[in-house]
Amino acid sequence: MLSQTVVKRLKEIVGEKNVVTDKVGLLTYGYDGTLLSGEALGVVSPQTTEQVVEIVKLMNEHNIKLVPRGAGTNESGGTIPSEESVVISFTKMTKIHEIDTENFVAVVEPGVINFDLQVELEKKKFYFPPDPSSFKASTIGGNVGECSGGPKCFKYGVTRDYILGLEVVLPNGKVIQTGGRNFQSEPGYDLTRIIVGAEGTLGLVTKVFVRIIPIPRAKKTMLAIYDKVEDASQTVADIVAAGIIPTTLELMDNLLINTTEDFTHAGIPRDAGAVLIIEVDGYPEDMDGQVKTIGDIAKTIAKEFKVAQSAVEVDQIWTSRRSAFGSVARVRPSYGVNDITVPRSNFPKAIGGVLKVAKDFDVTIGVVAHAGDGNLHPLILFDQRNKEETETVHAAEQALCMMALDLEGTISGEHGIGLVKKKYLDKEFTPAAMEAFRKIKRSFDPTNRFNPGKVIDL
Amino acid sequence: MSNVNISKLKGIVGDANVIDSLSEMAKYLKGQGKPVVVVLPGNTSEVSSIVKLANEQNVKLAVGGAVVNTQGITGGIAMVMSRMNQILEMDHLNLVAVVEPGVLHKEFLLKVAEAGLNFPPEPYEVETSSVGGCFAIGDSDSKSFEYGPTRTFLLGFEMVLPTGEILDIGNKCIKNVSGLDFIHFAVGSQGTFGIFTKLLVKLLPAPEAKKAVIGTFASMHKANATFNNLIKRNVLPTRMNLINASLAKNAKPGTEGQLVIIDLQGFKESGKNIANEVAAVLTLGGGSDVKIIEDEVEYDQVINGWLKVRAYLNAKPEQTVEFAVGPMKMPQALAQLEALTGDLGAYPGVIVEGLLGFVGLALPEGTDKLALARKVNKLAMSLGGNVKGLLGHKLKAEVYNDAEMWKQTTSLLSELRQQFDPKGILNPGVSLEA
Ligand SMILES: Cc1cc2nc3c(=O)[nH]c(=O)nc-3n(C[C@H](O)[C@H](O)[C@H](O)COP(=O)(O)OP(=O)(O)OC[C@H]3O[C@@H](n4cnc5c(N)ncnc54)[C@H](O)[C@@H]3O)c2cc1C
Ligand SMILES: Cc1cc2nc3c(=O)[nH]c(=O)nc-3n(C[C@H](O)[C@H](O)[C@H](O)COP(=O)(O)OP(=O)(O)OC[C@H]3O[C@@H](n4cnc5c(N)ncnc54)[C@H](O)[C@@H]3O)c2cc1C
Repeated sequence: MLSQTVVKRLKEIVGEKNVVTDKVGLLTYGYDGTLLSGEALGVVSPQTTEQVVEIVKLMNEHNIKLVPRGAGTNESGGTIPSEESVVISFTKMTKIHEIDTENFVAVVEPGVINFDLQVELEKKKFYFPPDPSSFKASTIGGNVGECSGGPKCFKYGVTRDYILGLEVVLPNGKVIQTGGRNFQSEPGYDLTRIIVGAEGTLGLVTKVFVRIIPIPRAKKTMLAIYDKVEDASQTVADIVAAGIIPTTLELMDNLLINTTEDFTHAGIPRDAGAVLIIEVDGYPEDMDGQVKTIGDIAKTIAKEFKVAQSAVEVDQIWTSRRSAFGSVARVRPSYGVNDITVPRSNFPKAIGGVLKVAKDFDVTIGVVAHAGDGNLHPLILFDQRNKEETETVHAAEQALCMMALDLEGTISGEHGIGLVKKKYLDKEFTPAAMEAFRKIKRSFDPTNRFNPGKVIDL
Repeated sequence: MSNVNISKLKGIVGDANVIDSLSEMAKYLKGQGKPVVVVLPGNTSEVSSIVKLANEQNVKLAVGGAVVNTQGITGGIAMVMSRMNQILEMDHLNLVAVVEPGVLHKEFLLKVAEAGLNFPPEPYEVETSSVGGCFAIGDSDSKSFEYGPTRTFLLGFEMVLPTGEILDIGNKCIKNVSGLDFIHFAVGSQGTFGIFTKLLVKLLPAPEAKKAVIGTFASMHKANATFNNLIKRNVLPTRMNLINASLAKNAKPGTEGQLVIIDLQGFKESGKNIANEVAAVLTLGGGSDVKIIEDEVEYDQVINGWLKVRAYLNAKPEQTVEFAVGPMKMPQALAQLEALTGDLGAYPGVIVEGLLGFVGLALPEGTDKLALARKVNKLAMSLGGNVKGLLGHKLKAEVYNDAEMWKQTTSLLSELRQQFDPKGILNPGVSLEA
């Protein structure tokens, strides 16, 4: 419980309606994209950097911890108030300060929804490449917090690659600016890079300078259908070997083909082992050559290969992929999204590994993957109300993480560590690396005030 | 008297790799400091043992690729990485390489090219730079608009920390958000977080075609105006660079006027059309001798000319000022700059990286660098930019009249450094105070 004095002060800082302390109101802030939950002492929604500073100072005076939160769509428990803490929600900081297409930069507040930024940019024929599948809901601040990916990373990279600078409120209540509007602004150490992906454990982001680029002039979308997942990964390897960097290489396995077909009736054969969505972009005059090369490669093993001939066909192809997560909900009431990455060359082995985990634990797993990146999202389907089954699922999730590490990969490609994977972190990192993380955390937040208990303990 | 225990060092790396005669040491050293010994480790465990020894005896140690900056290490140890010069792995399937830090950048590029691949980062001193030094400096270059700055190409590393422990991090995955991002944070840390002993580097397929378009212009302003034109037309080449008349001759002998170099790396088909479009824009913008270069040898000559000029500027950091503004703000920047410098064409050196809005200035002898930088920073800030790096941050805070922010930033930097190097052993010459 927050004391009346604290509640009163918070209301003075951000306004009455931007403080939540009632049980029902707090409930929604206790959840995120995972199946975990917690209970916040209160929720406060600042509208300016100055208010953020005031809040941090007040919390410090009363020794209360803060959990930063955007839209709360993260898949790692990163916004769960797991310790006694106040949630600081950035959803009221939604100003797009500036879109400067001439100079390839936009300046936004952290609560801006990724989609809303894209809409504004699109009017000017620009875009912000990081677009996690949750982009209609997730915030730029959250994208920064997780260093989110999406379907375009193979060619365009991840959030880290599009953040030029940040305004950050530190745990001591002081404001710093990292980076700036160009690549030349880091002060000695690249502070922007350590804040990106830190899941709110080092500082509160109150302003983001993002790099924006023109929408490519041309794009081609292709669909290849395979008997076996291995065949699809062979195509991926061959495309890379041919010197082509597609924007997208999205894969779905048989289970997902079936669950999405139930929804979309896109006409993908239900006995297919895998589909691969391949997209290239660039100058119009380069498209035919790349499409031909990719077609020649794919056709050697694919059952079917087609090139979308219209925007409608492009949409049809993507509808299946976009409905992937939702579609499995029809099969079982709950699903757990996993996020592991292996070196591209180990992708077929990782698929084999997923099958083995499914068999060993007797669970149903479907796979969606950013195949070009070696990034797999095995979806485990189950019923959360069944306690025993839920425990089996957790064990299977652990097995997936260990499998990725055995294949020289990582336990998180884009969803972050948060609470969910913290317990496996020392399986991936040596003690010296773990200690390096602690040194960094200690430098920013010696008394563990921001997002305590996430990623790493002090 | 120095505390350095030379015989212990010899025990670690062998007699031949410990050099303590002044005359022999000279070729490994630059700067005014006077280390007592140069040591050349051959592997990670030797590096670790040397650093541990330095900690035990509380002596300073600085590291360099081939030549060590001796600032702050009088009485201490200079460590040269040139013996650790193997390319350990070239992995085509995953588009990565594993290299030792002492590999020369230019030799690495040769091997990468032989493999049909591309490693875009381009240090200032392409001739002498090591791959370890390249990531330790971790800058951007004129290709960064297309490929991203240096850090984009690091996926992991092995490092000997300032306390001598070995830290291993990263993997061959191009997507990895596990833990805190120490991998990219270490890029640009100038050897203060530790000594790279192995680097896991990301590569790209080589571009299908390379072309250049060059032209000369009577004035910097005219030349730069063509850049704005290209950006407006959504033509975004790999590089879009400009060298003023004083330096242009060094890049391409016989050049009269300011030299524009446009580099086009990409596909054959679009490359042809874009080269024509660029050539037309340069010609219409008043360029003379506009030429599309397709011949490989000539292409390399042009690019090497650019690199030579850049290296020249970098050779005298105390006499250069570097800043960036929004790329489309460059016309105002150059106009205002001219009020400070006089005729830009005749100034000792002006280079422009048009896509990045970057300007490098070689100052005339006797210029008060800080005074000029201060003025340039004001100018740059009014156009959405700043003087580069740490100095820029300091000057920015001055303009904001925000001593607090500067204090906060530097104390955070020094706290980080202190956490990693509690005794202040490694690279004491690197200042984080500007
Ligand atoms: C259906 C679905 C699809 C998804 N698809 C993808 C995908 O394709 N790729 C992908 O990478 N992820 C994906 N995600 C995960 C998630 O959407 C992303 O991690 C997203 O970036 C989180 O944004 P958010 O606004 O919801 O942030 P939150 O979940 O609210 O927060 C994320 C983290 O950032 C911190 N944080 C938030 N705001 C700030 C701030 N202002 N300052 C400091 N720290 C802050 C939080 O403390 C937390 O640790 C998906 C999730 C769902 C539910
Ligand atoms: C004052 C100064 C500023 C410079 N600024 C830039 C710049 O902004 N951008 C740019 O591209 N080039 C810059 N350079 C040039 C740069 O030195 C070279 O271009 C090259 O990139 C460095 O490679 P090197 O092997 O010569 O490194 P060195 O000159 O030997 O070292 C450069 C820095 O990296 C550290 N270092 C070297 N090897 C390792 C290692 N294995 N592990 C950890 N740290 C290591 C050194 O301690 C030193 O701090 C600068 C040079 C100087 C002298």
